This record gives sequence, C-alpha cells and structure tokens, in this order.
Amino acid sequence: MAIKQRLLYLSGQSMDPRSPAISQALHEPIEGTIVEIDPTAKGLDYATVHDAVVDGWRIVHFPDQRGSVYDSDVEVIGFQFILEKLEEFND
Amino acid sequence: MTSSETGYLLNDDQVADFIINGYHIVKPSFSKNFHSDVYTALEGLPTNPGDAVNDAVPALDQIYTHPSVVGALSSLLGSDYTMAEHRHCHRNHPGTRSQMWHQDNLNIPMLEDGHGRVPDHVRSVLVMYYPQNVEANMGPTALIPGSHLFTSAPDRNASQGNFRDQIIATVDAGSLLILHYDIWHAGTANTSDKVRYMVKYLFERKSESEDPSWNHDSSQDTRILDRLEKDEAAALQRSLVSKRNYLRTKMWNNLAGSARLEYEYRDKWAGAWPQPVK
Repeated sequence: MAIKQRLLYLSGQSMDPRSPAISQALHEPIEGTIVEIDPTAKGLDYATVHDAVVDGWRIVHFPDQRGSVYDSDVEVIGFQFILEKLEEFND
Repeated sequence: MTSSETGYLLNDDQVADFIINGYHIVKPSFSKNFHSDVYTALEGLPTNPGDAVNDAVPALDQIYTHPSVVGALSSLLGSDYTMAEHRHCHRNHPGTRSQMWHQDNLNIPMLEDGHGRVPDHVRSVLVMYYPQNVEANMGPTALIPGSHLFTSAPDRNASQGNFRDQIIATVDAGSLLILHYDIWHAGTANTSDKVRYMVKYLFERKSESEDPSWNHDSSQDTRILDRLEKDEAAALQRSLVSKRNYLRTKMWNNLAGSARLEYEYRDKWAGAWPQPVK
C-alpha cells in the first residue's frame, strides 16, 4: 500500500470555484494510464470546482488571476483549477 | 448544379447552425448494402492507400457526387468548390487510445492557398465518412461545438479531457460529418471489439460569395442575427462571448456576399418587467 496523489484538472466558466465546470481531466497515479476523452461518459464528475472540494479534493493550483488576455492569438476555454486527493493505492 | 442538387441546398437555419456549431451531418441515401460493401472493401486493403483510397475503393467516388452532399458543400463553400488531393482512411481498431483535442494541421501543402486559421469564414471543410454504425465505445469522433471560432493552445489542450458540452459523433452507417476545418476535435478510444473506419476528405472554397449559395430568405435576417448573438454552442468564459458573436456575424456576412446582415441598433430590452421570485 502506498499513498499517492490523484490529480483532477477542472476548468470553470470563471475564476469563481462555484462557476459551472466546463471540462475535466483525471490523472491517476497508475503506470500506463493516460488522460482520455471518454465518449461513454454522461457529463462531468462535478458540476463545479466547489462540488469537488466538498467531495474531498484540495485545490493546489488556482487559475491565473489576470484572466484571459484580450486579443490573444490563442484561446483557452475555461479557467483551470488543479486539485489533488491523496489516497492509498495497492500496487 | 443540377435541379436535384439545388433541392438539397441548406436553408438559413442550417447555415446558421453550421456557423454556430461548426458541423453539419448529411446522410445520403444509397442501396441497402452500399456502405457495408465499402466497409468490406476497406477491410480488404493490405496497406493504407493514403491519398489513393478512392482508387482502391472506387465506390467512395459515388458518395461525393450524391446530390445531398453536393448541396450541403455548395451551400457552405460555393458551387465551384473543389476536393483537395489529400484524404486519409483512419482505421481505428479495438484498443486504439484517445487522441488529444486538436485542430488539424495547417502545414499541409494540399491547402492550395496555404491559409492560416480562418475564424470568420468557411474556406475549407473536413468531411468524415463512416461506412459503419459508430457506437459510443467504437472510437467515435468527439468535437467541441463552436470551437472553430478560436485558435487552440495545444500545450493546454494536453491537460483537458472531457468537455461538458462535447459532441460525440455516434452516427449511422453512411453518415458524413462536415466540419469547419478549424474545429477542435479528437478520435476517441475504441473499447469495442469492432474496427471503426472513417475516411476523411478536405474540400475547399475557390471563390468569394457574391450572393448566398444556399436557399436564402432575407425575411429571416432579424431572427438569424438574433440566433447568431444568442444561441449557445458550448459553455465559454464571458470574455470570449463577444468575440464569438462578432466572428459568427462576420462569417455569415463573408458567406452571404450582398445579403450581409447589418448591425443596427434595436431595443432588445423593452417589454414586461421582471416578476418577483416566489
């Protein structure tokens, strides 16, 4: 048994953790796993970042408070929060 | 264009849908076994024929001359559109992993004018043909509606998985998915025991529009402009919404030529007072 870090990338519609979540990616600490689009998923696991916090996830990275750069050459959809959960894994 | 093809031109709402969402699905009708025969022919190919896939499977030529396909492409690209030399047969076998979200490469010489991203026009479209039913576990194409209006940052997309409003193209055999070239999309994981084929083509605009190349009804202009301002494709941050709306209208006007929509002030707020929340 080992304590490992699970990472959840959740993008919100604004920098408010209670704003609707737009996208998610779960990075599991298991060798060989990759982040994939799941075409069979029914929506996201959490409606907001706050819902994930209520479920025990801890925010370890907040989106850049400067927000979107006006007239930028590239766009990123959503404001990305990174959350972690430390859990026991049976390797 | 033949009268048969004219009957398959898109209407104003279908063109607005394409501008808003970045995709349109066509289902040309063929004989019962047509698509399964194409599937069998693709299965029999010893190697990937690349751009020569139509030489290897000549039945594919029939799909792109079908009036419903010609009508849709003429509506979006003008009736003098051309098929690019580049095409690709994607064989998504059981166990294939998901791609990352991406916009297709601009660095392909087959794009005749070598254009960059075009968020305010339809200069080229991808057309994806599926010869078999595509179920959710067979590696369907995923796309983010409305994303064709924005230039993605590939490094950031690497850390994004499912989007709340993503579209998973689970389609019937013989369906064609017409995509704005710049839409963010990805092939997904095939966890089934079936091979999923998709043959991708690229079509290009050859001339600018003088008039709408679809079945246009100017009496709908106000309603269409309202849709371009208000219809949601996928959730975005507020800072991108005004840019989105501007690009939608500009795209419509580039397609419509002389029938451009005019931005005129109109009072959108007069009417009943809001009611108290009970």
